[in-house]
Amino acid sequence: MDRRNNRRDAEGSSVITANRLLDGRIVWLAADGEWSPFIRHAHVYSNADIEDALKQQIASAQDNELVGVYGVQVTVTASGPVPITSRERIRAGGPSVHPDFTPEWQEHPAVSPA
Amino acid sequence: MSHAPHSPLPVGHYAYDEVDRTFLKQRVAQFRDQVERRISGALTEEEFKPLRLMNGLYLQLHAYMLRVAIPYGILNSGQMRALAQIAQRYDRDYGHFTTRQNIQFNWIRLEDTPDILALLADADMHAIQTSGNCIRNVTADQFAGAAADEVLDPRVHAEILRQWSTLHPEFTFLPRKFKIAISGSPQDRVAARFHDIGLMARNGENGRPVFEVYVGGGLGRTPIVGVKLRDDLPEEDLIAYLEAILRVYNEFGRRDNIYKARIKILVQALGVDEFRDRVNAEFVAMDRARYRLDERIVAAIRARFGVPDFDPAGQAAEKLAQQRKADRAFDFWVRTNTHAHKQPGYVSVTISCKPAGGIPGDVTSSQMNLLADLADQLSFGELRITHLQNVVLGHVRQDKLYGLWQTLEQNGLGTANVGFITDIVACPGLDYCALANARSIPIAQKLSERFASPDLQREIGPLRLNISGCINACGHHHAGHIGILGVDKRGEEAFQITLGGAADQDTVSIGQIIGAAMSEDETVDAIARIIDTYLARRTAGEQFIETCRRLGTAPFKDAAYATA
Repeated sequence: MDRRNNRRDAEGSSVITANRLLDGRIVWLAADGEWSPFIRHAHVYSNADIEDALKQQIASAQDNELVGVYGVQVTVTASGPVPITSRERIRAGGPSVHPDFTPEWQEHPAVSPA
Repeated sequence: MSHAPHSPLPVGHYAYDEVDRTFLKQRVAQFRDQVERRISGALTEEEFKPLRLMNGLYLQLHAYMLRVAIPYGILNSGQMRALAQIAQRYDRDYGHFTTRQNIQFNWIRLEDTPDILALLADADMHAIQTSGNCIRNVTADQFAGAAADEVLDPRVHAEILRQWSTLHPEFTFLPRKFKIAISGSPQDRVAARFHDIGLMARNGENGRPVFEVYVGGGLGRTPIVGVKLRDDLPEEDLIAYLEAILRVYNEFGRRDNIYKARIKILVQALGVDEFRDRVNAEFVAMDRARYRLDERIVAAIRARFGVPDFDPAGQAAEKLAQQRKADRAFDFWVRTNTHAHKQPGYVSVTISCKPAGGIPGDVTSSQMNLLADLADQLSFGELRITHLQNVVLGHVRQDKLYGLWQTLEQNGLGTANVGFITDIVACPGLDYCALANARSIPIAQKLSERFASPDLQREIGPLRLNISGCINACGHHHAGHIGILGVDKRGEEAFQITLGGAADQDTVSIGQIIGAAMSEDETVDAIARIIDTYLARRTAGEQFIETCRRLGTAPFKDAAYATA
């Protein structure tokens, strides 16, 4: 994971993200400890508190079948956390050039493996 | 095991035999085991990463990405259908042709990868040498073996270099990746001087090939034009001399800093004379007999390539001339999308993968299947992927062009824009790539729509526009007459414009940044004003790059940053 993506301000809020080992898809750590494909489910930490949670999640990444665990700074809005960088907004929403390839698409694959 | 290839031989590329196929099967089994150990936790991600990269598997922004090798850009129709099958069964029904003549799939699951590699192996394909610090897929002229201006078909030597470099024990862990391109035409269509090694082949005095050898070129964060090491390297010394270059690089190339690890940095640090001296010292110390590329070896490799069985030209040219006269749109397409063939009655056809507003290089599985069918019907089952992200049918009879064009038109592949401003090269950018700073595709789509008018494109004339989403320059922005580089400004995308780049042999140059980065829409408008300036100030018959060189960047910069 690129170090620049894990940078946070001293103040502010962040969420924890990773890629799933088996399929590489992006997931976000929810308040109940589950990993959701939807950033709206992500638990929001204050930047002052996130380091311990991150350490714990990085340590258990293999058990949770995850890779590349890191924190993403967000702005908290009425519709949920929104990353402050364009990179992370694209991660959260899917590629901008394929509007149908949102995280929801993953739940209903168009083509099943033969 | 038999060394006899199955017949008939595939036109344009090397025919695998049982030895090759057994190797691929073993390789798939090896990777299947590695994937199982990764999933079980027996391998950590740190341990697994170099193993997956050796099989073309990256972890990108949204998913795993698999990059499949297309050696020297040549595919047969069955291989294209295998790629379509992967797109449909394991991805989201499309693939992306890359600037290294490969294809990549963006939505791959790790657990599916061994099955995908097995499917590829069944089609004599793999994903080796598409990633990692090894000698990457050797690229070649997309009109190889067909072009009227060609003196030597470079694909046989590209195949020899592939066989030499695959699994070469000394060169599996180089300081960084290593890219070789080879051309057999005096017209450089491979950007030879922007490669770690660029080879320009021609016939020598004894009838055997000789090679001009360029070294230390490249794009990325330190763009450098390669320098000539040899003017007349004999064919028999090709392997020995390249091995000497690689040994010097392997020994003295930097491994402490990823940004200074490419051979271009070593050549610059030593100076070309010192670098050449070290290569020559290595070369003369080698067991030359062992490395000698014997004529019989070359002949044996050549014998594994199928060759087209051309029909007599007949009235093909006359029929084409009549059809062009009768249909203006077809005539324009022939002008832009065909290339002169050495065989009377035939042409090479470049099929544009850049429709107006489309994603450069993206092709759906149904389009892949169509391309395979067309290759079977019209071009001896052979297809070529270009480093400019288009597809070539190498050998099409002139009297078959009209029907081909009509079919392409009906399937979104008939755009008459090859070499024009909308024939845009673009990397996947921040929509997919974990390294990118900015999205390359949306700005390419906006520019493609802005300049979609065929009349406007023809008025502007030849112009290469390349877009990279970060300084790694996979979109070759430095080599574009107009280049766009995506940058990160405090977490937001922005774009710099470069002008004056070119990859042509005699006039190769690196594009220069003209000023501060702008937003996506500002950049599109700025490029429109740059084009307006060119149209207003060009002399009769002057192409964009020529006007750019004559005037310098100043008037274009003024136009780009002019406010309404």
